[in-house]
Amino acid sequence: MSTVSYQGIVKSFGPFKALHSLDLALPDSTFLALLGPSGCGKTTALRILAGLEMPTGGRVLIGDRDVTRLQPRDRDVAMVFQSYALYPHMTIAENIGYPLKIRKISASERGLKVTDVAAALEIDHLLERHPRHLSGGQRQRVALARAIVRDPAAFLMDEPLSNLDARLRLTMRGEIKRLCQRLGATTLYVTHDQVEALTMADLIAVMSAGELQQLASPGEIYERPANRFVATFVGNPPMNVLQVAVGDGSVHVGGVALKLDTPRLAACSAAKVTEIGLRAEDLHLVESGSDGALTGEVYVVEPMGNETLVDVRIGGERLSVRAHRGFTAPVGSAIGISFDTADACFFNAASFTVVHRAPNHRGKQ
Amino acid sequence: MSQSVRRTSRERLQGAGLDLALPYLLLAPSVLIVLGVLVYPLWDGLRASTKLYRYGTVLRDVGFQNYLHLWSDQQFRNALWVTIRFVTFSVAIETVLGFALALFCLHEFRGIRLLRTALIVPMVITPVVVGIVFRLIYASDVGMITTLSEALGGSQVQILGNPMKAFIGIVVLDVWEWTPLMFLILLAGLQSLPQEPFEAARVDGAGAWRSFVDLTLPMMRPVLAIAIILRTIDAFGTFDQVFVLTHGGPGQATTLVSLYGYDTSFKFQQVGYAAALFVTIGLIVLAFALAAVRLLRRVEPI
Repeated sequence: MSTVSYQGIVKSFGPFKALHSLDLALPDSTFLALLGPSGCGKTTALRILAGLEMPTGGRVLIGDRDVTRLQPRDRDVAMVFQSYALYPHMTIAENIGYPLKIRKISASERGLKVTDVAAALEIDHLLERHPRHLSGGQRQRVALARAIVRDPAAFLMDEPLSNLDARLRLTMRGEIKRLCQRLGATTLYVTHDQVEALTMADLIAVMSAGELQQLASPGEIYERPANRFVATFVGNPPMNVLQVAVGDGSVHVGGVALKLDTPRLAACSAAKVTEIGLRAEDLHLVESGSDGALTGEVYVVEPMGNETLVDVRIGGERLSVRAHRGFTAPVGSAIGISFDTADACFFNAASFTVVHRAPNHRGKQ
Repeated sequence: MSQSVRRTSRERLQGAGLDLALPYLLLAPSVLIVLGVLVYPLWDGLRASTKLYRYGTVLRDVGFQNYLHLWSDQQFRNALWVTIRFVTFSVAIETVLGFALALFCLHEFRGIRLLRTALIVPMVITPVVVGIVFRLIYASDVGMITTLSEALGGSQVQILGNPMKAFIGIVVLDVWEWTPLMFLILLAGLQSLPQEPFEAARVDGAGAWRSFVDLTLPMMRPVLAIAIILRTIDAFGTFDQVFVLTHGGPGQATTLVSLYGYDTSFKFQQVGYAAALFVTIGLIVLAFALAAVRLLRRVEPI
């Protein structure tokens, strides 16, 4: 396994710029998720590392090797495709063994390795079949087996779970994570699903419109998003964002003055914050008209089983609030929302997070 | 109220009758055409093949005599051998050439559309015209090849007068005319292949040649088989171009079964014998096609 780094990678398709100068370093044996909405350049970044696309500018390094101009076969990476990309006319054993066959490894040694890998992924009973006889989940395992069979410097995965049904996706999510941890694999994993990124990755690189927004651990991404995009893209439901005005001694949100500790208040007014961000679990539903609570109107109540999501309208804005299981309220009724400003973060006019939530503060709950 | 209910139910009944008859009504015209221009002539040909004709009139029934006589007919055996050689060489060269062109034209570059269009032109020219064009190329006195040869200080080039060269001449003509069809079918096949396995192979370590041998060829097998079957069936029936170009000569060097059958029927007026000849050829081609389709079936669909 090996480190991977992108140095000032630029990629244009004609007039369209898919990547604006991407810098990204991936330590050895790390699982990095490239997370972003479709069209943000994450797949392009992965294909550039694989060698399937040539960058317009910049360098790609695997370990200490500059691989920017190398053919895919000379890069020693393995890739799992969204569509699995199995070889339709080969049996499962031939599919898994193909990278070894290309490397002129003898048939007997190849057979042993294929059996090993297939057993690890619980597909050893399918070896004589053809891909078309397999279910989506089984094909996924074959694609993984083909990738791990030859000990590459890095694994590249392009939305490998997006063609599976929801249940299977949960199972495979855990299995891929375990597999990568066991192999100590350097993995680059492209996904648009923030839950996959949060649950599987050691590091998340959030991308938008061809630019890296933030590179940090999942906890950091969730707790201390670098900007409004990361804050609202990661987390389900997304972070609530409200207009805010800074006064002397307090901040004004939704017509209510809220206290804020002095150093953060000073930071807020110095940075000219315009918006406040609050996670759904940091908001609490209280009696309408309670002291220091925002007043809104219940828009919709969504019971999730383990909890209830409540959408509340305050003026023209919508807030998602996590309430306990079994919470009910008639639609249209007035309701209060309270929160601790220590849990809030603040954005400036350029959408950067200028004041983060107070460290080590986990709300009152 | 009840009136309207009764009326709608009657309408429904009539509608059902029409619905039942409609498929047959729609089929009727094409069935009649098929019976008239396909089934009846075939039947008439089969009947003719069992009779002895003299100057266009039936002398007597001869049963399978015509069929048996074929196999002791030196000229027929020669024509069959010429045809098999012609089909084998033509189709083989067309397949290789068409596949190479299709692989080349798969890549996008400037002028590719123009090239693809230009490559199709030979196929759409009337066969007789192709024959005439090649006469103008091969003619030993004023032909293009002779003119070129003389311009380079050489002498007249005899092509259609030499048995070997004339045979090569008709193969070249067929290759020129029908490689485009191979090219079109194989290009369509190549364009419909999924791209991801090829990318996976590149990452897995395959170079261009390995990926061609390990992926392109096996994945193209069904398309290749269909193209070869179609072209082979078609090549067995080649007539116009060779009729115009060599008329089977020199000697019997380019006498395809179609030409021999034509002469038998229209020059020598042996209608029954010619019918038996063509029925036999039909059966040979049918047997080939069935065998090929069986072989194709064994290649499981991808």
